[in-house]
Amino acid sequence: MCGIVGFLGPASRDPGATGTVSAMLGAIAHRGPDDAGAFLDATCAMGTARLAIIDPALGAQPVCDPGERYWLCYNGEIYNYRELRAELEALGRPFRTHSDTEVLLQAWLQWGEACLPRLNGGFAFALYDRRTATLVLARDRYGKRPLFYAWHRGTFYFASEMKAFLAVPGFGFAFDPDQLAAILGQWTPLPHQTGFSGIDSLPLGTCLTLTETSATLRRFSGIAFDDGPAIGSRGEAIERIRQQMRESVALRLCSDVEVGVYMSGGLDSAIIARLARDALPRLSTFSIAFEDAEFDESAEQQELAAALDTRHSTLRIRHADMVAAFPDAVFHAEVPAFRSAFVPMFLLSQRTRASGVKVVLSGEGADEAFLGYDLFKETRLRADWDSLDEATRTERLAQLYPHLSHYGPQDVAATTGLYQQFSREHLPGLFSHELRFQNGRFSARLLKQAGDPFAAVGRLAAEEPGFAAMTPVEKAQWLEYQTLLPGYLLSTQGDRMALAHGVENRCPFLDPAVVALASAVNLRFDDGFEEKALLRAAFADCLPSSVVRKRKFPYRAPESAAFASLRPDYLELVLSEAELAKLPFIDQRFARALAQKVLSRDPAEISTKENQTFIFLLSIALLNRDFVAGGRRPGAAPQVRIADFRPVPVPA
Amino acid sequence: MTMSPDTDKIRRFIEDQFLVEFDASFPEDTDLFREGVMDSFGYVQLHRFLEAEYGITFALEDMTGNVLVSLASIRAYVTEKTAARAAS
Repeated sequence: MCGIVGFLGPASRDPGATGTVSAMLGAIAHRGPDDAGAFLDATCAMGTARLAIIDPALGAQPVCDPGERYWLCYNGEIYNYRELRAELEALGRPFRTHSDTEVLLQAWLQWGEACLPRLNGGFAFALYDRRTATLVLARDRYGKRPLFYAWHRGTFYFASEMKAFLAVPGFGFAFDPDQLAAILGQWTPLPHQTGFSGIDSLPLGTCLTLTETSATLRRFSGIAFDDGPAIGSRGEAIERIRQQMRESVALRLCSDVEVGVYMSGGLDSAIIARLARDALPRLSTFSIAFEDAEFDESAEQQELAAALDTRHSTLRIRHADMVAAFPDAVFHAEVPAFRSAFVPMFLLSQRTRASGVKVVLSGEGADEAFLGYDLFKETRLRADWDSLDEATRTERLAQLYPHLSHYGPQDVAATTGLYQQFSREHLPGLFSHELRFQNGRFSARLLKQAGDPFAAVGRLAAEEPGFAAMTPVEKAQWLEYQTLLPGYLLSTQGDRMALAHGVENRCPFLDPAVVALASAVNLRFDDGFEEKALLRAAFADCLPSSVVRKRKFPYRAPESAAFASLRPDYLELVLSEAELAKLPFIDQRFARALAQKVLSRDPAEISTKENQTFIFLLSIALLNRDFVAGGRRPGAAPQVRIADFRPVPVPA
Repeated sequence: MTMSPDTDKIRRFIEDQFLVEFDASFPEDTDLFREGVMDSFGYVQLHRFLEAEYGITFALEDMTGNVLVSLASIRAYVTEKTAARAAS
């Protein structure tokens, strides 16, 4: 795993170009602490900070072809690189190393852009052709690895993390209130959004081709639900799920360094740990436990670790740990956050790396692929609402959100009234998410002018080919693949927290073959009201029954209660009138009322939406301090190997 | 003779629960769902509050009739329910 940076345009001809690319690498050195290298010519400069996982000795970056025409800076892992390499070797392509980076380079030289849909993995890369002075940026289909870009003084800049732009001379950050409204409304940025003006995220599954005079964005892969295999029976479905998951985990265990597993105590990571344990002579597992019992799953974690006989490490999180790490975790996240659960992941990667493990497998993607969220059941219930009798409505309501007290049987009349309100589509295309977005509307009130927070996501859905023909549940899945998964789970809580301490996270449930298989079997052999029923059945005989039977327990962490009890100094950013005035787009009256309520009341009185809105406000204030107001400067430039192809200046 | 219930408590509850202030720009007949004020937790909290404060028991058919949508409709519903109970 690595971080990449670079620029194309006049700045590469500047005498300071080497220093700029080195400084940008310094800003993201945490992503790749093992090595740093850069390439420059008269048009382009780019570099890689490398975390050495495969072929540590020979996999240095940037890599080039033997003729030194094509140069590649690459962040990611391609899990099918061995098969691709065999195919490329059969076609006569030469190889000098055993790294997947070189396979990607040769695949591009052989097949061009057509190689992209063939790559199974999480990746973001920059490939430069010296002869045509053309730069190509590409990013994987699920948005596992990040890539941001911006124009500044006529030069195009890109980086794995936006903090690299802090090292660009004269570059300034400013919030984009329209994007903030969307983020507050839908909980996460959309695939192209960052929350900052003039900085874009390269959307999932797209490829951007640039010269100094042109730019073309093309999509090479989308989210589809009709590309799975034909499955004839429930038994066949279960057998195929077992087999596909085993293959996916095996592919992701491929590494020249130790691979561990993040184990939450839930079903998804338990399956991964089981399969990894079957394949390895010993396995290190890592878990988060909470002093606050409301969030703790350590009993299941311990039971699982004992059953699988893993070398288990538990990091116990206290309120004080949350409060102390919050500003650093937000700095690494770079975008406003709606919940605090990413903070323990920041601390867990620190623990993992300290124990000598720098690759972990984790369970992200299972809930989206196999319909694990209550959101999908809720969508079915609301879509069918008018055709259901009172008894069926009540029965199905009782199956939703077991972790939320207000969904208990004593409140069924109230939830019936609520669902009545949400049984019609009010936001075109967004029916599945309207109840969630209702919480988002409250958060959007942080802004003086929120406009329509859902206009952008509505447009995204409307412009998606085939979206209108999807079922309500597929639309819900598609929206999850565009919002919560890439915009929070894989980024703020995933890649950014893991790579903050040089740990690479891999997600076996996000193998395209697994996702396609899930689409082929979902809701065909069950009604979806027992979440992930087929997945449970597939692994019921090789996991503790308590884990198999356990209902979805969303991973969460202490929120406003931690800040209210410990009152860290940085709360001034949201309590002081003078500090809030530094956020001119924020509705100060609402923000102050919210902060006062959240920090002064019994935490039991604070609702989810208020907690979320407070975490949003606090993270925006910290990002403003660190990025907009320049409160943090990038780290020192590392030692960088330079391949410099710029013309040597003729002495005067 | 029956006394009208003090429905101003409902207004105070909503203002505190949802951090809003009813005034000319945010009148009492505002649809709290459409304006993004009401969320699932808050709606259930409001429901519990009305039951506890006014001794109302909500039937499922009440809840499918859009009664808890605006402060004005809630006031009217609570007044009607308490009057009906007093008359029975």
